[in-house]
Amino acid sequence: MSVVTEVTTDKDTATGSDRTSSWAALRSGRGLVGAVLVGLVVLAGLLAPILAPFAPDQQIPGAALQAPSGDHLLGTDSVGRDVLSRTLYGIRIDLLVIFLAVPAGAAIGSILGLVATRYHWLDTAMQRSFDLILAFPTIILAIALTMVIGPGVWTIATVIILAEVPVFGRLTRTAVLTVRQSPYVEAARAIGADEGWILRRHVLPNCLEPLTVQLALAMSVGVFIEGAMSFLGLGVVPPTPSLGSLIKEGTQNAYHSPFFVVGPLTVVLVLVLGLLLISQALAARSRQR
Amino acid sequence: MIRYALRRLPSALAVLAVGSVVIFALLRLVPGDPALILAGPDASPEALAALRHDLGLDGSQIGQYFSWLAGILTFDPGRSLILGGDIGSLVLDALGNTLILAVSALLVAIVLAFTLSTVSVILDRKWLNSAVTAFGTVAVAIPNFVTGAILVVLFGVVWAILPAGGVPRKGFLDDPGISVQYLLLPALCLALPIAAALTRFLTEGLRSQLAEPYVTTARALGISRRRIVLTQALPNALPATVTVLGIQIGHLLGGAVLVEAIFAWPGLGHLIERAISTRDYPVVQVMLLFSVALFVLIQLATDLINAWLDPRIRLGGRA
Repeated sequence: MSVVTEVTTDKDTATGSDRTSSWAALRSGRGLVGAVLVGLVVLAGLLAPILAPFAPDQQIPGAALQAPSGDHLLGTDSVGRDVLSRTLYGIRIDLLVIFLAVPAGAAIGSILGLVATRYHWLDTAMQRSFDLILAFPTIILAIALTMVIGPGVWTIATVIILAEVPVFGRLTRTAVLTVRQSPYVEAARAIGADEGWILRRHVLPNCLEPLTVQLALAMSVGVFIEGAMSFLGLGVVPPTPSLGSLIKEGTQNAYHSPFFVVGPLTVVLVLVLGLLLISQALAARSRQR
Repeated sequence: MIRYALRRLPSALAVLAVGSVVIFALLRLVPGDPALILAGPDASPEALAALRHDLGLDGSQIGQYFSWLAGILTFDPGRSLILGGDIGSLVLDALGNTLILAVSALLVAIVLAFTLSTVSVILDRKWLNSAVTAFGTVAVAIPNFVTGAILVVLFGVVWAILPAGGVPRKGFLDDPGISVQYLLLPALCLALPIAAALTRFLTEGLRSQLAEPYVTTARALGISRRRIVLTQALPNALPATVTVLGIQIGHLLGGAVLVEAIFAWPGLGHLIERAISTRDYPVVQVMLLFSVALFVLIQLATDLINAWLDPRIRLGGRA
């Protein structure tokens, strides 16, 4: 029984490309739930101008710190702005972080890791500098960078890229070195394939799998870094809303309006859990094969 | 053992040395002349020069670096610009509060992780296993500031049974009952992700140990599952767990910054945050170096404990 299924999956991978199978992980079970959760948040952020009942920085006079009502589904903040609208717009910062900063960091890290496997001196230098970056806790790194370049969305992006480059650099390096030693690469080399062709045809496709799993994890780390930095006042500058700064304001005003914090908290939880489910589905998929 | 320690030492020192140069250089890039900010716009050139000398900002950059480093090595890290007072005493005051928080969080995390993983492995019930696995994966992923906000709003405001922040006014030793109340929420908030990571690794470690042949032998001898897990599998699963614990302790300071901000806890994280917001850069410089030193030290300690627990690492050719 097991022999039969193994043969068929082997055939599958031989005919189909890696990309289709990693999308397939998102079409059922945990992966589907995760994709739906993340998709909902992404849609809410993209459609913020249509969905939001008010402008994110519109102050409604005399409506400070109201409890949820028909007019303001999630209540209002301390200067009378609609929390629902601010939450929807706040998601956009996280979308920027998830879909631009994290992939950028991942790409730079992977390329560095790949290049490092070709030159020994570069490898040593890169490993040591990765050690050094990893010796700073991410939040401390964020604080130091904010001192130098000031708070803002670009500071968040820089911190995320700096934090992800060593992670992806190491992962790619290990993956490439492992694949290069596998029998089929030796076989390809033995029949006279040149290194560039081996890299494109064998090494890169087989390294992609651990990298996609890590990418989903890195995205949830990105959400964490954005939230933490904005929470500490190192991220987006007011009055621009972000999920982290909304949670901070919500906690500070909890005595007057305990419902304030519920909306942004739910969004962060849904986003993080969705990304976690996706990464687990991808990891389970790659373990199966 | 000593030989192993000596072999690990140079690379740790190298990271520390390069780290100190990077920190020093980074803070030279901060816009604004601290002497000018401190003296005010009306200060005479002589007063400015005197202040620069006082702050150790005269002379070449390399000279400044070494006098800064010498100051730290002789436990005299200099004076704070804005927060006031000696950096050494500022750091020491904050360090005490952070240590109390960190040690309590670690204790909570270790007790939680060991109980959950040993109980779930010994009992081996399906529902318990999936509950523990869910805890191990979900609690790692949820950011500190989210759990912190939930804890504050739930237990500090909605069902107000615990203080939502701060430290006991008369110190921690005055009334242990009150101190525990103040500690409970921040320690739990800091402990949850650590406990989750530990639980996951320890449970996996115990399971893979139980698949080993020596466990089959022990079982054939009629030894109970509980005893096998506690006396045989647990010690063998420890080295990997210690590594995870070391990594988690290394991230503790970063986590503490957030948790201290949420719960208004006057520790190192709070000090860093205040120093940043007031641009008190000598304090920031010392704190950054401190955090790197802490990380390097913890990594070294982790390696040494592992070498002590597992002779294969200690005697192996690859260090």
